[in-house]
Amino acid sequence: MSLEEFKNRNIGKQNYVKLDLEHTPQTPLGRFSRVVRRTLKGELFVGLYVTLREMINALFRGEMHTVKYPLEKLPISPRYRAIHDMLRLLESGHYRCIGCGLCEKICISNCIRMDTRYDENQRKEVSEYTINFGRCIFCGYCAEVCPELAIVHGGRYETASEQRASFSIFEDMLTPVDALKQQKEYDGFGAVSPNADENIKKTPLAY
Amino acid sequence: MSNEITIKIDGIEYKTKEGEYILNAARANNVFIPAICYLTRCSPTLACRICLVEADGKRVYACNAKAKEGMEITTSTPDILEERRAIMEVYDVNHPLQCGVCDQSGECELQNYTLEIGVDSQSYAIPDTKRETKDWSSVLHYDAGLCIVCERCVTVCKDMIGDAAIKTGPRGGEALPKEYKESMPKDAYAMWNKLQKSIIVPSNGSEFTNCSDCGECTAVCPVGALVSRDFIYKSNAWELEQIPATCAHCSNGCQIFYEVKHTSITDPTPKIYRVTNEWNYVSLCGSGRFAYDFENRVEGKDAEAFARAVEALQKADTIRFNSVITNEEALMLQTLKEKFGKKLVNNDAYAFGKFLSTYGKAAGKMLYGSDLKSITSSDFVISVGAALRNDNPNARYAFNNIQKMNKGAGLYFHPVADTVISDLGKNVMSMIHKPGLEEAALYLVLDLFSDKEKLPEATRSYLESFHKKGTRTVTEKVMEEVTETVVDEATGESKEVTKKVPKSVSKEVEFEINELASMLGGSDDFADAFEKMMAKKESFSLIVGEDLYFHPKAENLARLVALIESTSAINIVMIPPKTNSLGVALICDLDDAAEGYTVGYNENGDFRLSALGNGDLDMPALNQQEGTLTNINKLVVPTNAALGYNGYVLNDLMNALGCGEELTVAWTPKLASKRGFEAHCFDDLPNGYTNSGAEQRGYALVDLHRRAGEEGVEEFDGSIALEGEIAYRCNPQRQFNDFTDKSHEIFEAFALYASSTKAEELGAKVEVDFGSERRVFDVVADERMEGNIVKVPDFRSADDIYGLFGENRFKNVTIRKV
Amino acid sequence: MEVTVLPEVTWLGVVIKAVIILAIISAIAGFGTYLERKVLAFMQRRLGPMHVGPYGLLQILADGIKLFTKEDIVPQNANKLIFQVAPAITAATAFIALSAVPVFPDFTIPEFIPLLGGTFVPSMAADLNIGVLFILGMMAAGLYGPLLAGMAQANKWGILGSARTAIQFLSYEVVTGLSILAPIMLVGSLSLIEFNDYQAGGIGSWMMWQQPVALILFLIAGFAETNRTPFDLLEHEAEVVSGYATEYSGMRWGMFFIGEYANMITISVLAAVIFAGGYNDLGFLAGWFVIILKIAFFFFLMLWVRAAWPHVRPDQLMWLCWKVLMPIAVINVVITGFVMMA
Repeated sequence: MSLEEFKNRNIGKQNYVKLDLEHTPQTPLGRFSRVVRRTLKGELFVGLYVTLREMINALFRGEMHTVKYPLEKLPISPRYRAIHDMLRLLESGHYRCIGCGLCEKICISNCIRMDTRYDENQRKEVSEYTINFGRCIFCGYCAEVCPELAIVHGGRYETASEQRASFSIFEDMLTPVDALKQQKEYDGFGAVSPNADENIKKTPLAY
Repeated sequence: MSNEITIKIDGIEYKTKEGEYILNAARANNVFIPAICYLTRCSPTLACRICLVEADGKRVYACNAKAKEGMEITTSTPDILEERRAIMEVYDVNHPLQCGVCDQSGECELQNYTLEIGVDSQSYAIPDTKRETKDWSSVLHYDAGLCIVCERCVTVCKDMIGDAAIKTGPRGGEALPKEYKESMPKDAYAMWNKLQKSIIVPSNGSEFTNCSDCGECTAVCPVGALVSRDFIYKSNAWELEQIPATCAHCSNGCQIFYEVKHTSITDPTPKIYRVTNEWNYVSLCGSGRFAYDFENRVEGKDAEAFARAVEALQKADTIRFNSVITNEEALMLQTLKEKFGKKLVNNDAYAFGKFLSTYGKAAGKMLYGSDLKSITSSDFVISVGAALRNDNPNARYAFNNIQKMNKGAGLYFHPVADTVISDLGKNVMSMIHKPGLEEAALYLVLDLFSDKEKLPEATRSYLESFHKKGTRTVTEKVMEEVTETVVDEATGESKEVTKKVPKSVSKEVEFEINELASMLGGSDDFADAFEKMMAKKESFSLIVGEDLYFHPKAENLARLVALIESTSAINIVMIPPKTNSLGVALICDLDDAAEGYTVGYNENGDFRLSALGNGDLDMPALNQQEGTLTNINKLVVPTNAALGYNGYVLNDLMNALGCGEELTVAWTPKLASKRGFEAHCFDDLPNGYTNSGAEQRGYALVDLHRRAGEEGVEEFDGSIALEGEIAYRCNPQRQFNDFTDKSHEIFEAFALYASSTKAEELGAKVEVDFGSERRVFDVVADERMEGNIVKVPDFRSADDIYGLFGENRFKNVTIRKV
Repeated sequence: MEVTVLPEVTWLGVVIKAVIILAIISAIAGFGTYLERKVLAFMQRRLGPMHVGPYGLLQILADGIKLFTKEDIVPQNANKLIFQVAPAITAATAFIALSAVPVFPDFTIPEFIPLLGGTFVPSMAADLNIGVLFILGMMAAGLYGPLLAGMAQANKWGILGSARTAIQFLSYEVVTGLSILAPIMLVGSLSLIEFNDYQAGGIGSWMMWQQPVALILFLIAGFAETNRTPFDLLEHEAEVVSGYATEYSGMRWGMFFIGEYANMITISVLAAVIFAGGYNDLGFLAGWFVIILKIAFFFFLMLWVRAAWPHVRPDQLMWLCWKVLMPIAVINVVITGFVMMA
């Protein structure tokens, strides 16, 4: 790659239209005629027209941009990364987290911690789980790495609180049992890709 | 053995030793050959078959084939790669996909090799068999579902630990489908065939292992099948910070890693979760692995207690301590003696130091000649006066390893029979003798192994006096040739066949009786048996234990040991009784008895400095301080602080007394003022192993040579042999000191240990009359003990068991049921 | 001219008129800020103030409370007297100028009201016969406010603001006078009432048809006089933070604004009266309603222009006024004279 190409590598086809920048007139007459030309060209009135048009659009055609935020909220993208949700299994209602610790490992701001133990049913139980939202940068790696689709980013972006602890307890992030039916799968980071089946090789099973 | 040869691996020349396995040669040269079932210091298992390589065009297993001069080795050919891939696929068949919860995840060799070999699809399948999860003992948890039957646990338990507590058992799986035999690579099929039939079970036929609970099997397990019950599902491997240290419990000073993480979500203070080791090069005992949480948690500096401690030290006449301290602390105490004339009392190091110096005078040097590491390469090992299983587990591992790896033989002289030792191999002879006859045992060793020419005239004739002639009737098997006529069924032809048939013949034989051997419990055919044991043996070693240091004739024993070393080919190693007894014995000038006002350091005293949390001033435990320990291998090894300590340390007291240093580790180079030590900065001391298994830890003590002493050995005194009811000062396995006792994973109680029959006879609780004092103990049956001698543990310093036993490790006692 | 019909203008009537102007124009000035914010918002398709009162109508009240209760800070090195007086100059001159403007129709306070009953309140506080000159003069004097404020506050942005004030002052004043000269020549009087009466003949008789150039020049000059975009050089925040008002806070700062909005109203009234037919009835529409519509339009125009146009540099303003507008104005006057003589 030549230097020229290298420098221009992001410019695409270079089919830009250049601004018609006329030379500044040097004579008083030239300047005067420019004023006259510009005045009569009506550019100023185009400006007036545009603003008036927008005002009419806004007032009478319902094209107002303003969202009265606390009263009305825009729907957020499923890929938005706000306060985490911990999902449950739809069948049993048991939380999905298996305590593998991958989110804890991958967390680049080191804000996830969990305690696990060997429970009475010979399973790994997550006895404690917290995310320190004072440190969390909402990068989404935890949701990305989670093998069980258990930790996801929810849509709860209003994170002002008197106490950070208000968000960070496992139970708070967990889908309430009675809201299990409303639980949605996460479409953003770490969600199963649409073509996942194509990428999986089948393992033979003998039964 | 040390002949250097040149081999070529993948076209590059490497140097290695003749007779080295190809795998070890490659590893020592940082060449990677995959291997799962192989353990460096154990015999090749050939279970995994993944270490296949091509040597001079032939397929061999790298763990099993020895390197030869000029050998050309190819680590991967298309065939081998196909084979390896098939092997890894087979390992993944029916292996539960539960890496998410598995404790081994992140350090799992199945994960690693599956990735390394690049297994991204599975070609084989077989119906799974239900495999139960079991708790084998108080510490072992076995998840058969995860097990890949590499048999590393079985191998290490047999070849290294010597318990042979586990073996492969029937799995009950279906037979492999026939078509695989043709379609699969040969080795993978063979491996799978074996794998599909086996599972690991306790070898005693029960549900539980009756073993030393060392947990080495959990360390070597490549997958999450074997883990400690305490650690299961507690933490992921990658979260734990490894802090290289030295085990604080026995004199072997094994290199370990304390693995540290915050205690919980709410408590950020670090906590030790487990201890790991370089299991290819170090084997831990149960204490090393499970006794790690003995730290002394202190809130902060208690200035008042500190002031009282300074005052107490100023007015103290005696400082009483034991050897569970670092060299630096020992040097501080010695400084107190030199500056202020305090008496230093330390039971274990005093006896050991006296024995060592008597030996040294007689032998013309300061230290015993060998160490555990070098005697492991010998092929005949003798142990005198050591309860090998309890005193120093690594000495026992060495004893066992010699039997298994070197086709060795062993002689175990001890008054208390131990089934573990006698089961170590068919060439191990246990000589169960009366307590007090250790001199006779050494004389027997002298008689059997020494070059008679070198012995003093008196000793030679003294030994000669024990040899008698006798006759007895023996039955021998003789092979007799018999000729028969056989008709071949197929052809109908008859022909004559000559066979050899065994036949028993009785005859009178004249043989030599060695009265020493008989006296020590040897059978009538000791001489024959010994001759068999001696066959093809080249190097010899002697392990000397604590019984000899605490012995009425300890000085004579020390001279005998020196005599054995100088007149025979035997290498000597002595087991220091406690963690750092060797260091303390070399650094401190100890006194024999306490007098006046006594300050106790982890021991009884009028003022107690204690790392146990129950003293008048708290001290850091050995997992909370930096420093060096002197181990049985005569190495000065560093240990690191795994956990923080907020209180005062001994160096602070030294500073208050006007003779301290800025930091405790500033004392490390000052050790050079003592014999054998060198001036090394603490931070310069390495603590690890290289890929070739070379130990790079600390520095070796320097032995000093001088003229050998003139004092001869005395004849032994048979009259001091004890009869009747005898107590033996000996700790149960996994217990060494107050610190092991404090740890939550050590369950062995402070009680009277007796063989099963004796325990039944004694009942649940007894009162033991030591003459001077009576103590009440619970009775615990130790299934691996035999005989009538009972063991009284000394690991609790507060109970002053040393005081009860005095200068002997055996004592006549009266035991009454309570 | 029949002015004798009106009752006698007493001093009480003038005072009452002055109080009414002061109260109502101040309120309207405040309301002007609200309108400006709303109109600008709509033109940017926003909602503008919405939360205080219905549609944010009470926003002015909230702003007023804020301005009144804010701490009145006088910088340490400022010339205290001048610093404190300057805003008053701006506000005062704006209102004084309004005294010569016919703001509302005249009326007599009904008899039943005690004390003030029967008092005649004139449409303008001072019906001077040089009304237009007085108004322009007072508004020009109003620029002393920013000039002094900027120089008194010991702040470099303030100084820059003052300098720009001086430039602006020097630029537009000539054009204002000259542009209005031609209509004055046509009407032959300086009284605003005369101007109104001159255009009494319906839309066709409006001055703007006879003097379109004068209207444009007057509007340009008026924008400059009231510091509106595109000539808001004095306090253009992207260039000089807040210009002369940088150090002001609270009500003193508010007074500049009241002055500015009062001036905007004044200019709107002048434009409506001089060029757009004044308060003559327009068909069926009553005169008072017509003039309110006209004033509102010119006021709206100022907001509209602010939303649409960029502002010019000080040197461009000066160049424009002296070298373009003044010659055009002079030519306009000359042509008007020739036409009148012809």
